[in-house]
Amino acid sequence: MEPNFPARSFTIPIGPQHPALKEPGLFKFVVDGEIITGASVRLGYAHRGIEKAAEERNWVQNLYLIERVCGICSHIHAFAYSLAVEQLANVQAPPRAQAIRTLVAELERIHSHFLWMGVSAHEAGFDTLFMYAWRDREKVMDLLEELTGNRVNYSANLLGGVKFDLNAAQVQSIRSTLDFLEERTRHYQDVVTHDEMFLQRTRGIGVMTRSQAEVMGAVGPTARASNVPRDMRTIAPYSAYSQFPVQMILDTRGDLEARFEVRLEELFESIRLIREILKAMPEGELTVRMPRRIPAGEAVVRLEAPRGEVFYFIKSNGTDKPERLKIRTPTICNLNSVVRLAIGHQLADAPMILAGIDPCFSCNDRMVQVSKASDGSEYSMSWKELRQHGIDYYKRLSK
Amino acid sequence: MKPFISIIILWLFPSGIFLLLFGLFYQWFDRKLLALLQNRVGPRWFQPLADTIKLLSKEEVIPDGVNSYLFIGLPLVALAGALTAALYVPIAGLAPTYGFPGDLIVVLYLLSLLTLCTGLAGTNTLDRFSMIGATRTLTQLFSYEAPFLLALLGPALVAGSWQVGTIASYAQNHWLILTQPLGFIVALVGLMGKLEMPPFDAPEAHTEIVAGALTEYSGRGLAIFNLGRAVELVVGLTLVSAFYLGGVSNPLWFLGKTFALLFIMVGLQALLTRLRIDQTVGLWWRYGTLLVLVQWFVMILV
Amino acid sequence: MNVFGTMFSDISASLFRRPATQQYPRKRTDAPLKLRGMLHIKLEACTGCGLCAMDCPADAIQVIMLDRKAKRFVVNYYVDRCTFCGQCTLSCHQGALSMASDEWELASLNKTPFLIHFGKASDVEQTLAGTPKGEPAKSEHS
Repeated sequence: MEPNFPARSFTIPIGPQHPALKEPGLFKFVVDGEIITGASVRLGYAHRGIEKAAEERNWVQNLYLIERVCGICSHIHAFAYSLAVEQLANVQAPPRAQAIRTLVAELERIHSHFLWMGVSAHEAGFDTLFMYAWRDREKVMDLLEELTGNRVNYSANLLGGVKFDLNAAQVQSIRSTLDFLEERTRHYQDVVTHDEMFLQRTRGIGVMTRSQAEVMGAVGPTARASNVPRDMRTIAPYSAYSQFPVQMILDTRGDLEARFEVRLEELFESIRLIREILKAMPEGELTVRMPRRIPAGEAVVRLEAPRGEVFYFIKSNGTDKPERLKIRTPTICNLNSVVRLAIGHQLADAPMILAGIDPCFSCNDRMVQVSKASDGSEYSMSWKELRQHGIDYYKRLSK
Repeated sequence: MKPFISIIILWLFPSGIFLLLFGLFYQWFDRKLLALLQNRVGPRWFQPLADTIKLLSKEEVIPDGVNSYLFIGLPLVALAGALTAALYVPIAGLAPTYGFPGDLIVVLYLLSLLTLCTGLAGTNTLDRFSMIGATRTLTQLFSYEAPFLLALLGPALVAGSWQVGTIASYAQNHWLILTQPLGFIVALVGLMGKLEMPPFDAPEAHTEIVAGALTEYSGRGLAIFNLGRAVELVVGLTLVSAFYLGGVSNPLWFLGKTFALLFIMVGLQALLTRLRIDQTVGLWWRYGTLLVLVQWFVMILV
Repeated sequence: MNVFGTMFSDISASLFRRPATQQYPRKRTDAPLKLRGMLHIKLEACTGCGLCAMDCPADAIQVIMLDRKAKRFVVNYYVDRCTFCGQCTLSCHQGALSMASDEWELASLNKTPFLIHFGKASDVEQTLAGTPKGEPAKSEHS
C-alpha cells in the first residue's frame, strides 16, 4: 500500500541497500529538516518461497528447509516444525530430547541477544560495544559448534527427538562458557545503563505505551518493554518449559533503554535456565519412532523466538509431503510500531528505533503484489515474461 | 636557485608527496590503534596507501544533474587548501617553510576550506543523502569553529603574535597545556570535530546517511578528498601539539608529541558514542564556548 | 570513568592482550569432533537402499542401481549441493555414512572434486559410460 505523502516532500529511503540494514527492506521517511513527519515500509526483497517449496519436499527434508528461514533463529523454526509434526503424528518426544532442545533454544537466545546488542550499538555509533559484544558471542557459537556440529543452522532437531547427546566434557564446557558470559553481560548491563552518551541516544527515544503496543500487536521483548505480558514460555509453556519455568521480564518505560534492559535481563534468565537444565537433566532416549507418512490433520504451534512469538500452522493430508505450511514470524508484528513511532523523532533516531525491535527481514518476508500506479490494477509476470523483461532492460542500458 | 628549492619544497619535502604519504601514515596509525583498542587486528601499514591507489584506478562516475566542473574541481580545491595550510605550520619538526604575520588565520581558513568544499560537494549532487550530509557538515562547521578558533588564539595572545612560527617557538619554552588546560581540552575536542572523528561524525554517519556529503563520489574524486583529510589530520595535530604541548623543535619531538595526541584522540573515539547533530551543536555552543571564554577570562586577568 | 568512559577497562586491557581474531589461515585451530564435514560412505556396509538419497534436502546423493541381485550399485555424492546437515547419517540403517570432522576446507577452483563416486571401479566406469555425454545415468531415487 503506497503511503499518502504530500506531493513535494523530501523522502529519505533507508534501503533496500543501506548500511543501517543488515537485510533488505525499504523504509521511506519523509523529513522536514531533520524531523521525521511520515514513514512507510515495504518488504518483499528477501522472499524465497519457502512455504511453497515446503509442499514439494517430504517431512524429513522440510526440517532442513525450515531451518534456513532465518540464520539467527534457525533452531526455533526447526523446533516449532518438529513440535507441530509430532503433534500431527500424536507422538511425544522423550523428556531428555525436550530438555536438550530447550537448552539449545536458550543458547540460541543468548547468541541472538548478543548479536542484537552489537548491531544496536553499531547503529548508534558506539563501535566499541559492537566489537566486544560480537567477540563474546563467538564463545557461544564455538560452544554450539562443539555441541551440535555447526555454528549456524545447528540441525539439532529430528522429527521425534534430537540428534546428539551431551557428555560430561561438553557439560563442563557449557558451564565455563556460561560463567564467562554472565560476567560479560553484567559488564554490558553496566555500560548500557550508565554510559551518559549512549543513554542520550536511547533514553526517551521511541517510547511506546502499553495501549499502543497492544493495539499495534507488538510481540516479544519489544512488547515486554512496554509492560505487555506476552511471553509464550510462560503463558503457554511448551516442551521442557513446564518442567523448568521461566520468569517473564517486564519493564514499564517503553523506550529504547527499556528494550535494552529487558533483553539483558533475559540473558541472565537464559543463563539461569540452562544451569537448571544441566543440573536436572532427565535420563532417557533421544528419539522416538516417527512414521514416514504423517496422518491427516492440522496442527498449530506457538513458540517464543528471541524476537517474539513465532506461529506455525501445518496441514497434512496423510501423504509424505505437507499440504500447507504457514509461518508467521515476530518481526512482522513489530514493524508497524517502527513506522508509527518514528514520526516526530529525528532522522538519526530512525535506525535506532528500527534496531530496537531486532528486525529480521528474512524471517518475515511476504510476497508482494504490485499494482500499476496509473490505474491501480494488479499485474503479474510469468517466468518467460520476467526473463524477457530482464533481457530488454539490459539491452536498453547498454545502448 | 630559489625557484628550484621552492619546487623541491612544494612537490617533495616537506610538502607534496612527503606530506601525502605522511598523512596516510597517520591515518594508518589511527585505524590500527583503534583496532587494537577494540581487540582486533587492524589494517597493515600500507592499507591507506593501497586504498588510495585502488581508488585512483577506478572509474569516476559523474551522476546526472550535477555541475561537472564543480564535481571534479571541488576535491582539487580541498586538497590544495590542505596542502597550502601545511606550508605555514612546523611539519615534521622543521620551521615553517613560509610565514608572514597573521598566517594563523590563513591556516585556519584553509582548513575550513576543506570542510566547505565537502559541504559544497554534498549540495551539488541531487542525492538526498548528500544533501542531508552537507547540511550536517556545514552545521557542524558553524558550531565548532568559534570555540576552536578561540582555543588556538589563546596561545597567540600570550605569545604576542599571530604568526604560527613565532607562536610555536614561544611555546617551546612554555608548556601551555599547564597554563591553559581548558584551552587545550577545547582545542583537542575541536580538532576531533574538525576532522569529523567519532563522536562527531554525524556528517558522515554511515548507518544513517550512507556516506554523507561524499556519497556520490567514487574513484579519483574520493581519493583526493581522502588525501585532503589525511593532510588535514597532520596539519591539525601539528597545530595543537605545537601550541599546547611545548612546541616541536625537532622531528623526534614532533613524532612523539603528535602520536601522543593522536593516542588520546583515538582513545576518545573508542570510548564515546556518536552524537546526533543537534546534540553536537548543543554541546559546542554551551560547553565549548563557555570553557574557552572562561579560559580567556582567566588569561586576561592573570 | 563511570559516566563517560564505561568501556575504559575493556580498551585499556586490550592494549596488552593479543587480538581476539583467529589468524586463519596462518594458524588453524582444530575443529570440534562433532563438526559435520565431508561425507564418507563405507561401501561394505551400504546396501543401496536409497534412504539417504530420499531424505537428503539438497538432492546431494544419488544411488544408481545397476544390478540389485548382484548388489552392484554406485552412489554419487555432490559435494557442492550438500548442506552438511547430517540427516543421511541418521537415515542409514546400516551405519554406512559418517561425516569427517577434519575435512571442512572444501573450496576448489573447478568442479571436478565436487562429484564423488562411491563404488567398485568397474561399476563406476559403467555408469559414466552410460550416457553419450558421459553424465551419470539416471538414478532410481534422487
